[in-house]
Amino acid sequence: MMNMAKKDTPVISNNACGCLIDDILEKKDDQGDRLCSTSESDMEFFVDPDPEKTSVDFYQRRLTDGLPIIPPTRERVDRFLNYSEYDPEDVLAVLPPKMGQATMEKIAINSVMAGCRPGFQPVLEHVIKAISHDRFNLAGVNATTHPISICTIINGPLSNELSINSGAGCLGPGNMASATIGRSLRLCLINIAGAVPGVGDHATHGSPAKYSYCFTENEYESPWDPFRVELDCREEASTVTVMAAEAPHNVNDHRSQIAEDLLDTIAHTAATAGCNNSHVPGELLVIMSPEHAKTISKDGWEKEDVKNYIHENSVLPTVLGDRGGRKLDDKWIRGGDVLITRSPSDVLLLVSGGPGRHTMISHGFGNGSLSVTLPVILKDGSLSYSVEDFKNR
Amino acid sequence: MRVKLTEKDVLNPLGEVKGKNITLNHLPYDFDRVSMVDNTKPGADLILKVLSESMGNRELQWVHKPAGAPATDFQIQKAASADLAILALGDCGSCTSWVVLDAIRLEEMGIPTISICSDHFTPFARELAKSHGLGDLRILEVEHPIAGLSTDEVNDKASKIVPSFLYLLQIP
Repeated sequence: MMNMAKKDTPVISNNACGCLIDDILEKKDDQGDRLCSTSESDMEFFVDPDPEKTSVDFYQRRLTDGLPIIPPTRERVDRFLNYSEYDPEDVLAVLPPKMGQATMEKIAINSVMAGCRPGFQPVLEHVIKAISHDRFNLAGVNATTHPISICTIINGPLSNELSINSGAGCLGPGNMASATIGRSLRLCLINIAGAVPGVGDHATHGSPAKYSYCFTENEYESPWDPFRVELDCREEASTVTVMAAEAPHNVNDHRSQIAEDLLDTIAHTAATAGCNNSHVPGELLVIMSPEHAKTISKDGWEKEDVKNYIHENSVLPTVLGDRGGRKLDDKWIRGGDVLITRSPSDVLLLVSGGPGRHTMISHGFGNGSLSVTLPVILKDGSLSYSVEDFKNR
Repeated sequence: MRVKLTEKDVLNPLGEVKGKNITLNHLPYDFDRVSMVDNTKPGADLILKVLSESMGNRELQWVHKPAGAPATDFQIQKAASADLAILALGDCGSCTSWVVLDAIRLEEMGIPTISICSDHFTPFARELAKSHGLGDLRILEVEHPIAGLSTDEVNDKASKIVPSFLYLLQIP
């Protein structure tokens, strides 16, 4: 028997169809996108991923704050990136503890997840830039066992454009801009910075304020200069302030008729043994309702007078901060008492809220973190008057 | 007609980490001057005292630094003027962060370090050191908690880590 040369058997791909090229060329095809008969489908439609399914998947991978998220598809993220002046891969900051790179795209992805609108992208970029300043000490703020969250304050014309609520309910719930901007920041901290509870974020109890803590000053109803003007920002400038702040604590005062009485209530509420300020004096956020502000200002008190008074009178006995052997630095002690702020400029005083006689106070992280305020500006340094200024640049 | 429905992809929200590599300084075989860096957390001074006594006759320099924030330039320079630096105590999130980060600052300045953290926070301390490029940072674990304990109880826990400490330093 002759040995037949074994021909190479041609390998036929699994995807190959049996169509002949001549048939394809001659065939009249009314619908140009018609696939051949071996294809498993005639048409393919791309649909948005199911939010519930994506939320559960992301939750199991510890990529969320526990609440459902909007699936960050390429289209959604691109709509946000339209509002960024930078390239999507540009690194705006490197965030501890994980040292993750906060690129514009990663910021946009987390913002989509949070439920932000595309126009919030420039705001989030400024927030991330602010928290990466050395003086903010993001490494300490993220990792600490202290329930410190990050309060974001957006002031100026931008807050009107974004419709951030400065009246009743300004600290929540109910306003999309403040709720989602604060939430996006938290998701960026979890996913970019690695501040996952128990892993990079060691807050013993966590805090409701870690879901979102964002508001704006009610400049129209404030009897004083706005907070941003106090910081030497121009009238027409919008600003973003970040402060490491505990969840707010209420000061209920319905009866005081004169400034000192009301400020005493505020100072006594602020001077607590359990705040970090009593160990390492630092900043104090005071969010005064318009009615409280009016009670004080009608007596002729200016903002500086109020800050001085709060600084001088928010004191508590040193022994309360010194239990268990930790000795307070002598420079913070005056006559056996510790002042919880280092100077009047540690008091961040803003007016916000609706009708009612309440003030909210938030202790900071002591001198372990200092607030940062940035004007909202374009890449070339010019002031921005609207989020539309950032679009498609 | 067959229609295929495909879900669009979702993008990944996790930040990427760019690896950095710092070389760990070898511990000195023989040394005279040691910086004892105390972040003022309760028990930090006691632990450092127990460790300092175990080293025999050395010139000790005590440096205080903030707990939840970086050491000032002055404090770091002072700590760096020695052959070796021992840092304590990382027993919470922010103080552990700054024990590790300040230890890394000293290592970058050429000073070998040993950091003391409580066992609850040591895994985090190691991850943090790794993400900053010094995965080999020397960290000794002391039993958590230290805060809230009496002097005797802290001394007891500190003396348990002396053998590991001496082993690292090759002190018989």
